[in-house]
Amino acid sequence: MSEVKYLTEFYHLNEFQGLEGYKKNGGYVQLERAFKMKPEEITEEVKKSGLRGRGGAGFATGVKWGFLPKNGEPRYLLCNADEGEPGTFKDRMMMERAPHQLIEGMIISAYAIGAKKSYIYIRGEYDYPIACVVKAIKEAYAAGLLGKNILGSGFDHEMDVYAGAGAYICGEETGMISSLEGLKGQPKLKPPFPAIQGYLKKPTIVNNVETLAAVKYIIRDGAQGFRKYGTEKSAGSKLFSLSGNIVKPGNYEVPLGYSLKDMIFNLGGGMKPGRKLKAVIPGGSSAPVLNAEEVDRATLDYECLASMGTMLGSGAIIVIDDSQCMVDMLGVLTHFYHHESCGQCTPCREGTGWLNKIVHSILEGRGRLQDIDLLLKVADNMKGRTICALSDAAALPVLSFVSKFRDEFEFFVREGRSKVKGTNYAQMHH
Amino acid sequence: MPKCTINGHEVEVKEGATIMEAFYKLNEGIAHYCYHPGLSVAGVCRLCIVDIEGNPRPQIACNTVVTEGMKVTNQAEKIKDGVKWVLDFHLINHPLDCPVCDQAGECGLQDQYMQFGKYSSEMAEPKVKKHKVVDLGPTVVLDSERCILCSRCVRFTDEVSKTNELGLFNRGDRTEVGTFDGKPLDNNYSLNTVDICPVGALTSKDFRFRQRVWYLKDSETLCTGCSTGCNVKVYYNKEGAFRVKPVYNEKVNGHWMCDEGRGIYKFVNREHRLLKGRMKQKGQSTWTDMDAGALAKEAYQVIKSAGEKLAIILTGQYSTHEYQILLKNLPTKNVFHWQNQAEKWNEFDGLLLRGDRNPNTKGVELAMNASGIKTDWNDLISGIKSGAIQTVFVAGPENMAVYEDMKEKIQSLGSVQNIIWTTACKSEDFEKLTNNVWLVPMKSYLEKEGSFINNQGLEQKFKKATTIVSEALTLAEASYLVSGQNIPIIKMEAVDTFIDASRRPDQVTLEHRKKNEFVYKRGSL
Repeated sequence: MSEVKYLTEFYHLNEFQGLEGYKKNGGYVQLERAFKMKPEEITEEVKKSGLRGRGGAGFATGVKWGFLPKNGEPRYLLCNADEGEPGTFKDRMMMERAPHQLIEGMIISAYAIGAKKSYIYIRGEYDYPIACVVKAIKEAYAAGLLGKNILGSGFDHEMDVYAGAGAYICGEETGMISSLEGLKGQPKLKPPFPAIQGYLKKPTIVNNVETLAAVKYIIRDGAQGFRKYGTEKSAGSKLFSLSGNIVKPGNYEVPLGYSLKDMIFNLGGGMKPGRKLKAVIPGGSSAPVLNAEEVDRATLDYECLASMGTMLGSGAIIVIDDSQCMVDMLGVLTHFYHHESCGQCTPCREGTGWLNKIVHSILEGRGRLQDIDLLLKVADNMKGRTICALSDAAALPVLSFVSKFRDEFEFFVREGRSKVKGTNYAQMHH
Repeated sequence: MPKCTINGHEVEVKEGATIMEAFYKLNEGIAHYCYHPGLSVAGVCRLCIVDIEGNPRPQIACNTVVTEGMKVTNQAEKIKDGVKWVLDFHLINHPLDCPVCDQAGECGLQDQYMQFGKYSSEMAEPKVKKHKVVDLGPTVVLDSERCILCSRCVRFTDEVSKTNELGLFNRGDRTEVGTFDGKPLDNNYSLNTVDICPVGALTSKDFRFRQRVWYLKDSETLCTGCSTGCNVKVYYNKEGAFRVKPVYNEKVNGHWMCDEGRGIYKFVNREHRLLKGRMKQKGQSTWTDMDAGALAKEAYQVIKSAGEKLAIILTGQYSTHEYQILLKNLPTKNVFHWQNQAEKWNEFDGLLLRGDRNPNTKGVELAMNASGIKTDWNDLISGIKSGAIQTVFVAGPENMAVYEDMKEKIQSLGSVQNIIWTTACKSEDFEKLTNNVWLVPMKSYLEKEGSFINNQGLEQKFKKATTIVSEALTLAEASYLVSGQNIPIIKMEAVDTFIDASRRPDQVTLEHRKKNEFVYKRGSL
């Protein structure tokens, strides 16, 4: 088994960016086919395909659509292109290389759930992807693929782009809805869930870029065809963003269930000369870290990674070699989560700051041995106690870094310098 | 009506009620800061976590709807431990400046720490520094370091006063409550934010640094600021009254009261009061001080000699009972209702404050109707002019600040021979009276018991809170004396207060205080 070209089949073609090139390579054919189906049939097909959300949580897409109330109430489709999870850059490529693929997938999805309006919420830093998507939407309007009575089907749909202002929390679906409503980007209390009461208090479906793009392929190949790749519980292929201390970082599409070791050593070209694999963060910075021994056993699917206590997340694989200091790395992560906590829920607001201060105390040579256990206690009490998952996302790396690389933390506390680098914090950063 | 079990006690709650409401109904202790029954649910303090049987993760009580047969507990070890930790999260950046904090003694953070808290913090890092003494507006001062970001004040200005002055600015542990550029917290309900603030972050400019709350007693009474009749608690000690806070009454004011009403404690204090009876003869410029009772007895001679030429002027500032006694003791048909700014009486700000600034206008009307009296103010004026009225007994206003027409009315009484004026407060305006004048000192509403009938016709009883001017009389007592009778000794009976079933469960009873028992919720919560 090796890399596949399923979603990314035409990504090497520059013309695939534009409407003409996209149509030449099979674009908008599936939209016409979808319009011949009933909306419920599409939802049923998506359910059968086993497609799971590609943004991070991995919730079954068809099931999510099924939560919508079955009345004629106006509803919205939102595409989550905030892509804030550190280490993830697959949505950027999808929007740059194939904006029409996303738009087609979105129109089909909107038709399936009955949404007359959709928004693509794109991370504010993504200037170029925003430009690509905006241009593609304009082309689609001009070609009658958006607007009133699309392709004579009687289905009306409007689509817009909304650029975020650079907050990690706006990648959380209700945080994104708040931001889109013009409010401060803070997650909303659930229940009610967005499918019942979301954007502007109307039923709303929020899906990731890759999820929506994949819908097109479910229409093309049918549920069974889509299941050609992947495992029973993790169907289809997925894009992974490979980064870190590796020879060939980049986006790779592989079937779910692919071996993590192959990903690193075959596709990624392995470690840099003379370096050994030490650890891998398999699903974006929020996912608990795996050590080298665990990496050997891991396969890239939801169930295997879950059984190892971590998660597939957004598919950002961050490879760490033996030249990296885990204490220093954790300092980067705690700083990030402290900076990005929205500040609503107490455990997260105060906990992220506390964790960051403790880790930096250790880094700056002021740490106490009991601080290591304190990190575990604080992180443990932040887990599962808040409105959204940011608190968990901040706690999980701390728990896994400290429990799996405790010797490095203890060394740092005792010696005031890194076990790996041999230098103290100030020397490391100058 | 679903039934659920809370800590082993079964309780039936309304359809759609939350676990928090079930806890309230059972009067079971549950830690919480951001939940307030008068506001929407924010679910951010994360203190009210409970264990629901069959649910692997702890849930928050304020946002979880009770379903039939639900088994809930907050006594499980893991929940207690979780609450301790969440409290510690609240406290790690809190300045713990209780010795100089106004809220100390009635602080939610102190109280809940004592009941649910973790007794040794492991925080060894420097605390986050934030703004202190932020001037939010004319009434409220903010200390951001004390703030636990429960967002109650923000939700209040959003949902109740609908003025939206407050917001949460910045993110994470740098978040602070604030006002947007150039728009201060300035509305007639702003001080409610101080009441609902569970900590000492928002303090009232009027009250801060004036008293430690443990040196104050409180008593439930009514607001006399307007005809709504909000239920309030007055805080006082032997120096006088210091502040007023609202008391929940579903039928009248809900959880709130207006800022204007909070000022009404001021005129009852000694420095504003008429302490002695005073009289002066026509043409004299000096007053003679007398004992209140003796003065009233002296006035009897005048009233007796006036006979049919007596008129009574009533203001809506006395209790219903007092009007009845007065009209019984001085039986005349010349009774006039002094309506201050009657043209504004139908005004209403949409929330609580009404244009009629008297607590008992309905009571005056009731008493006058019962005696079959129908009069017009102009009859009084023409009576005075024609000499048909020689002596006037004025049941003068207690809260003179809302009687803008004082001077005008005093002028219109110009040619009357004798004026007997009962008043709780002193005023410059009395100097302008050129008649024979008897000023009888009155008790304020805090010093007597009785009832007011509010704008909606609801009769609410109030009880005596304290004594500020001991020799002052009530209007009823004065009416006995000026009609030549002695004050009957009234057998004291237990007075029911107006607060009954609709009372919130978190009020501290006197018994608790006497026993010095710990009470889990009080004051601001």
